[in-house]
Parts: sequence; C-alpha cells; structure tokens
Amino acid sequence: MSGQDVSRTGRFWRRLPGSGRVALVLVAGLWIVAALSPAASRAASEIRLDERLLPPSSSHLFGTDDLGRDLFARVVAATPISLAIGVTAAAVSLLVGFAVGGLSGYLGGIVDLILSRIVEVVLCFPVLFLLLALAAFLPPSPATIILAIGLTTWPGDARYARAEILKAKSLDYARAARAAGASTPRILVRHLLPNALAPLLVSAAFGVAWAILAEAALSFLGVGLPAPATSWGGILSAAPAYIEEAWWMALFPGLALFLTVSAYNLLAEGLRRASTG
Amino acid sequence: MIRYVVRRLALAVPTLAGIVVLVFLLLHLAPGSPVSALGAESGRRVSGRAAEQMRRLYGLDRPLPERFGKWVGRVVRFDLGESFSDHRPVAQRIREALPYTLTLNGLALLLTLAIAIPLGVEAGGHPESAFDRASGAALFALYSTPSFWAALLLQTLFSVKLGWLPLYGVASDPEPAGLAGLADRAAHLALPVVCLTYGSLAFYARLVRAGVAEARGADYVLAARARGLSRRQALWKHAFRNALLPLITLLGLVLPGLLSGSVIIERIFAWPGLGRLYFDSILSRDYPVILALSLVGAVATLTVTLAADIAYALADPRVRDGTAP
Repeated sequence: MSGQDVSRTGRFWRRLPGSGRVALVLVAGLWIVAALSPAASRAASEIRLDERLLPPSSSHLFGTDDLGRDLFARVVAATPISLAIGVTAAAVSLLVGFAVGGLSGYLGGIVDLILSRIVEVVLCFPVLFLLLALAAFLPPSPATIILAIGLTTWPGDARYARAEILKAKSLDYARAARAAGASTPRILVRHLLPNALAPLLVSAAFGVAWAILAEAALSFLGVGLPAPATSWGGILSAAPAYIEEAWWMALFPGLALFLTVSAYNLLAEGLRRASTG
Repeated sequence: MIRYVVRRLALAVPTLAGIVVLVFLLLHLAPGSPVSALGAESGRRVSGRAAEQMRRLYGLDRPLPERFGKWVGRVVRFDLGESFSDHRPVAQRIREALPYTLTLNGLALLLTLAIAIPLGVEAGGHPESAFDRASGAALFALYSTPSFWAALLLQTLFSVKLGWLPLYGVASDPEPAGLAGLADRAAHLALPVVCLTYGSLAFYARLVRAGVAEARGADYVLAARARGLSRRQALWKHAFRNALLPLITLLGLVLPGLLSGSVIIERIFAWPGLGRLYFDSILSRDYPVILALSLVGAVATLTVTLAADIAYALADPRVRDGTAP
C-alpha cells in the first residue's frame, strides 16, 4: 500500500514541470514559516515609539513601522492568517462552485439552464463591489471575510467544473458505465469524480492565490479582518500614509504577498500541465 | 440571424431579472432590514435617521412581496433615488464620476491591447521560442503582483524618489493653462493607467497567444504561405484575424474587472471616478448609491456581453447556425 503511494508521489513529481516543483517547495516553505510564526508574535506586537520608522538594518531586517514595531516579525506573524483565510475561502468557493457546476454539467437540460443563468447573473457584477458590500455590512469577523470571498468567487469554479464534466461525460468510460446500467449517482461518484480530481486541484491552487489577494485587498482598504488579527494586506494599509518617508513599509509586506500568490499560481499552472500531458 | 438574436435576447431576460433580484438581496444587508439586527451589535451602526430613511425609501417595514414590488417599480422607472450624503440625485453623482473612470479605463484598455496583441501574436507565432518563454514568465510575474502594491512602489519610485510624477490627484492646484495644463493632466494619469494596464496585460496576451498558436497550423495559414505570403503576413493577416474573433465575446466580461480594479486604484490615486464613489458610499453607508452602482454595473456588463455575442454571430455564421466548432 505504502509502496504504491510512494510510486504515485514519485510519478506526480516527475510529471510536474520545473517551475511547479519550485512552487511546491515555496508553498511548503511558507507553511513552515506559518508553523514557526508564534515565535515572532511577541516582537510583532511590541510598540516602541523611540524606534518608529527605522529603515532596514541588521537589528530590524525589514525596518520598523509607524509604532516602532519590527516589520519582519509582523510579516512573519501575519503568514498563518493570510494563508488560512486564503485556503478556507478557496475551499468554500470550490465546494459551491463544483457542486453547482457539476450538477449543471451532469444533469443538463432545465437544471443546467437555470444554474447557468445564476452563474451568469453573479458574473455580471464587479467582484469587488459584492465583496466590499458583504465585508462591510456583515459583522466583522474572519468567518465573514471567508464567506464573502467564497460566495463571490464560486461562479468561476462552477463554469470550470461544468466544462470539465461535459468533457468527461462524453468520454467512452462514462458512456460504457451508463450502457452497463450504472445509476446516475454511481457514475458521478465512481467514474466522474476521480477524473475531476486533477481539475479540482488546479482550481484549488488558483483559488488560494486569488483568495489571498482578495483578503489582502479588503484589509488594505480597511474593511478586512478586525483588529488585532493582522494580515499582509492589513500591514500594507498603513503604508500610504508614510509613503514619503518609509518605503520599506510598502515593499516588504507586499513582497510576502507577491511571493505567496506567485507560488500558488505557479503551482496551479504546473498541476494543469502535469494533468493534461 | 433574426432567430439567433431573438433567442439570445430571450436568454438575457432571466439574467436581467436575476440581477434585479440580487441587488434586492443586497438591500437586505442594509439597516432597517431583518438582517441588520446582526450588524447592530457589531458597532457598525448607522444613525436612526438613516435607518428611517431606508425604511421609507425601500419600504423595508412592509412584507416581502410588497417590498419586492416596490423595488421593481423603482427599477423600471429608472428611479435611482437620492444620495444620503448630499441629497443630490444618484444619477447625477454617477454622471459626474463616469467621465473620470472612462478616461482612466479607456486609456488603460487601449494601452493593454496595444501591448498584448503584438506580444501575443509574436509569442503564439513561435511557441516555445525564447521570446515566448521570456514573455510568458514576465506576464506571469505581473499577473501575480497585487495592484495596490505595485501602485505604492511606483509612487515611491516616480513620485517620492525621482519626483517626476505627482503622487495622486487629477490635476495640480492651481492648474497650469494651455499646453502645460494638458501635460499636467497626462502626468497625473500616468501611474494609475500603468497600474490598471499591467494586470490585464497577461490575460489578453495569453488569449491572443493561444488563438494564434492554434491557428498557425491551420490549412488557411499554410495556404497563405504557399501563395507566397511571408511568415509575418500569414500570421497577422490570417492567423491573428481568426484568433481575434473569439476575443470579441470576452469584451463584456472585461467591464466588471475594470470596475473592480478602479475601486482600488482610484482610492490610492484619489481619482474621483465610479470606483471611488462606490468605495466612499460603502464607508458612509450611502445605500442608494451602492445599489444604483451595482445595478448599473451589472446591467452594463449584460448589455455589452449581449452586443458582443450578436456581433460575433454576425461575423461568424457558424455561431448562429449552432454549428460552431
């Protein structure tokens, strides 16, 4: 059993393009930083007004912010928050999106017509319009942010899932299962779901990248996570006020955001290429 | 053709109805509605006066069917109400902000296409070449760069360190006259336009690249080469033209993306457009403006999508016959 697993993992690794392998290592590194981040939490919240707005140096690697807090510690301490919101929000979006898209593609007919209209309706709205309204008007909490991101991004996942199911449905194995008398739920679970796994993983990785960006945008605009929880977007939101004197307040939190989003996007791209050939 | 147009329009009717319903649901996040009881404990309360205004305006104390009827009645009369913050008609506030957003996004869209099309044709014409790989990697990095971060870095470099461009705003105060005034406006536009351009660049360039890469092996491109056209002519005159068609249908979906981008960029650069208006309305709980902008944005997207689909059907008979590949 375990031997088979190893060979499977090995096969997967070999099929992943070089950039995808780099991305996988980067993502693993980020989660390790997140796991170790409690060590930085004390330094991240220590206010030292005599050390405010110090440029990067050997004692403050990323410099200090407007309250004299160490920016390196703050960026490290924010890592698990940004990652966790990204992963859970992406999971909500995937769950809703794949359920709607899968049903729509599999059942077809009137169900497909209705569900596709609903997807179309949501896609007509600017994502950030809906996101801001939900985040600002519901009680501020991590759950609100997660739901707001998940509930505004699922239409993309639904479209993708629908197209994948339509493609899989026309393939011989599904037709053969149907000809052999298999029931609809059985075909969905035993035949179509395993084949939808690759697209699911690809959407998941793209989804995490997008959700992390969306949360950062909300926090940057000041309607994200309530204090004292701080994400990278939250740290960045203080940067515009000090743009003339402290460039490091903009550079480093954004860099962490950029690296994370790139890593997940790169991973998604690698998974897509590994699964299509 | 007429049958296709009628069918397409018929499909748009339920979507339009859905948009009206979704904005109606959005209204229920507002104070005075059943949902707002949740918000009351959150400290994000709105004054009793505003809540009273909401109740009168949208009949929030009435039963659900009556509420919905009232809302639909306002929508079909194009009655967007007046803004809570300055009591001017919402339509007027939108009209004032619209030119600013159109200028910013229009320029950004033109710049995006001007870069993305040659880039995509060149990369798609020679897949897996050094140029294709390099441009692909660069676009990928741009695609992963948050716009607000890029905006802050560009401000730091070009406004603070080099002093070449203004930090934000539409024009200097006082505004220089004549040609100098034009240059001043252009300088204020430069950074926000760049920020809005670079993100969508990857999206378009990849679409053009994929279309051209697929078309370059097609018979009609080979035939064009056989007739003695150069590689470049065959790519641009034949492969690109055919790759361009599917791009038309995506035009409608560009709109919500542009409006989303505008919210962030207009905020950072203090640009008085629709995105800024929407964000300010969210902060001040100006519900009539919020609902109107959501409705107008979604209906505009639906309209452009519809027009694009019909234009596509006009250009490609296979679409209207339902025999498209």
